[in-house]
Amino acid sequence: MLALIFGVVIYPAIELVRASTGEYSITGLRRGSAGTENYTDVLQHPALGTVLLNTLIWVSAVVAITILLSLGLAQFLSKEFFGRRMVRWAVLVPWAASLVITARLFTLIYDYYHGILNVFLMKLHVIDEPIDWLGDDSWTMPSMIAVGVLVSVPFTAYVLLAGLNAIPDEVHEAARIDGAGPWQAYRRVTFPLLRPALLVSAVLNMIYVFNSFPIIWTLNDRNPGYTHDTTITFMYKLAFKSADRDVGMSAAAGVFNVLLILVAVVLYLRLVKWREEDPT
Amino acid sequence: MGARGKTRWFARLAGATALAFGLAACSGGTGADDADNSGGGDSAKEIKVVIAEYSKEHTATFWNAFKKTYEDKTGVKLNLQIISWNDIDQQASTMVQNGNPPDILNLNAYASYAKDGLLYNSDEVLTDSVKSDLIDAFVKSGTYNGKMYGFPDLSSARALFYNKDLFAKAGITAPPKTWDEFVAAAKKVQALGNGTIGYAQPLGPEEAQAEYSIWMFNNGGDWKTDGKWTINSAKNVETLQFLRDLSVKEKVTQNNPGKTNRTDGAFPLFTSGKAGMIVGFGPLQGDLDSKYKNVKYGIAPMPTKDGGAPQTYGVTDYLMAFKKDGNQEAIKKFYELYYSPDQVNTWIKSEGFLPVTKSGLEEFSSDASLKVYLDTLPNIHLTPTDDPAWDKIKLAVQQNLGTAVSPSGDPKKVLDDLQKTAEAGG
Repeated sequence: MLALIFGVVIYPAIELVRASTGEYSITGLRRGSAGTENYTDVLQHPALGTVLLNTLIWVSAVVAITILLSLGLAQFLSKEFFGRRMVRWAVLVPWAASLVITARLFTLIYDYYHGILNVFLMKLHVIDEPIDWLGDDSWTMPSMIAVGVLVSVPFTAYVLLAGLNAIPDEVHEAARIDGAGPWQAYRRVTFPLLRPALLVSAVLNMIYVFNSFPIIWTLNDRNPGYTHDTTITFMYKLAFKSADRDVGMSAAAGVFNVLLILVAVVLYLRLVKWREEDPT
Repeated sequence: MGARGKTRWFARLAGATALAFGLAACSGGTGADDADNSGGGDSAKEIKVVIAEYSKEHTATFWNAFKKTYEDKTGVKLNLQIISWNDIDQQASTMVQNGNPPDILNLNAYASYAKDGLLYNSDEVLTDSVKSDLIDAFVKSGTYNGKMYGFPDLSSARALFYNKDLFAKAGITAPPKTWDEFVAAAKKVQALGNGTIGYAQPLGPEEAQAEYSIWMFNNGGDWKTDGKWTINSAKNVETLQFLRDLSVKEKVTQNNPGKTNRTDGAFPLFTSGKAGMIVGFGPLQGDLDSKYKNVKYGIAPMPTKDGGAPQTYGVTDYLMAFKKDGNQEAIKKFYELYYSPDQVNTWIKSEGFLPVTKSGLEEFSSDASLKVYLDTLPNIHLTPTDDPAWDKIKLAVQQNLGTAVSPSGDPKKVLDDLQKTAEAGG
């Protein structure tokens, strides 16, 4: 177990920090120590502002929309209805499928000339001419967010479903006897009891969506510059694709990325007053 | 909060930190490669050869056969890895970073590796007969600091492909010779309507430097002039402005050329018969002849700004060899076998590219369909791959050139920035 923790968590972390203080040539050869230069280079990078803003939009939009949709879906799946088993399995598919495959499928669906989305919307007369979902700057982010939500909903819905199932029926019964309507019962009884599950799914989603690479990379790799990059694809471009091409700088960005997740998670937990649960 | 609460809080924070680091490390993916250090000692028993995948159909077929011949002949094991062009840069860099480079690497850039002192030069690993057989233009492009480190594996030359049916429908009788004629022709094709596109223009990150280079050379511009970077010269700004006008002003290209890649964006438009013109090369010709036979196409020299002599843009990739203890003999034998005519020419023919040796040039000259390229091959215009700064500039061009041709783009500013990158030593 210790070996596992060391191999999976501690060793990569040490490597990451070591790489972030090295000076690397464009070929990947380590030339010596760079001190803190990689860190200041990242902080002074002209695209940093755009990248951080994109990350904020990406994470908050995907997580918020995912949780809203999942609340509804979990509620629906918890009811008894014909074929519930089937529907529950079907919901899992987008989550179980490889992210790269899903993302690649969506590049075809979104395609300007042949994509099924444009054909569909034009047949329905919703739009008059095709939209360049992944090329038009104003549509790129929403298109990516839609895919991000699609692949995050199943897992989230299942966590919330488990939370719903853990609420004993007696509580609902008691509420009903006390004369609460359905909406009131949900808001006053179900929702508060669902809070732990909600917290877990929100935090896990934040980390997961924050670090999500395949969707943004696959849908966005033909876009020049850093216009639609989040911190994760920014790191990748720093290491391998852009003219910065610097493993050290990319590692430094990686360290910042970890700190950023921590700060985001802690801020979020403070916001929802996590510690109130701790009866001390 | 009591003492118990505090410990618990720290425990959770520590847990979250570990989790975050773990996830970040996973997605960062340094991915240590299989760590087989080849040989050591006096002579390597095994060499690792990393090859770029030129096509799904032919690359593996040729190299597996080559591996067998090589192993039978030399008794040295050849550990073959074929990697897609999308990933090979990253894989190569990761291997070097982990101190485990391949013995032979197939890539389109070598100068940075040579500058870092990682490579053998031609005096160390090529026989004299191989050295004298290589076409001079490629010897020059493979030479860094007076020594040759980049050994060409194959070459290609670009030319203007046009759709004969669309040209006939639009009433165009001959392929354009000047930029004005080009715009006029593209407009006529675009006017056919029904989703028809005048010119399919790929300026996305995949190979923006190629698309731009060929237009640049045909306006009398260049990346470097007399040893100095001239990326933002007046002629080059004019060229990029012209390319931007094609989509923004004349509206004769597909949607968003700055975000269109060549192989998965522009080529399909041409092979599906939708585009009137495109800059193409041998492999596209091969696809048109075998898979898309209903597209009737012609090949013409590139149009020039004012009707002067057309310039041909060429590309060569390299097979470079990394210095490691004891692998020199095995590498020498590798090249000796690779550059033997029945190997190198078979390979080049199967992939639809052009030769890199004088003997190959002779052998290919009987093929009429290659005449348009072969005539120009000895005087071909290449990008400055012999300058290590180019490795960086190429990346900057690929990532940023596309922004110049968007409706809000500014060609002069993009080129000024690239010039700055170049002057800073890449």
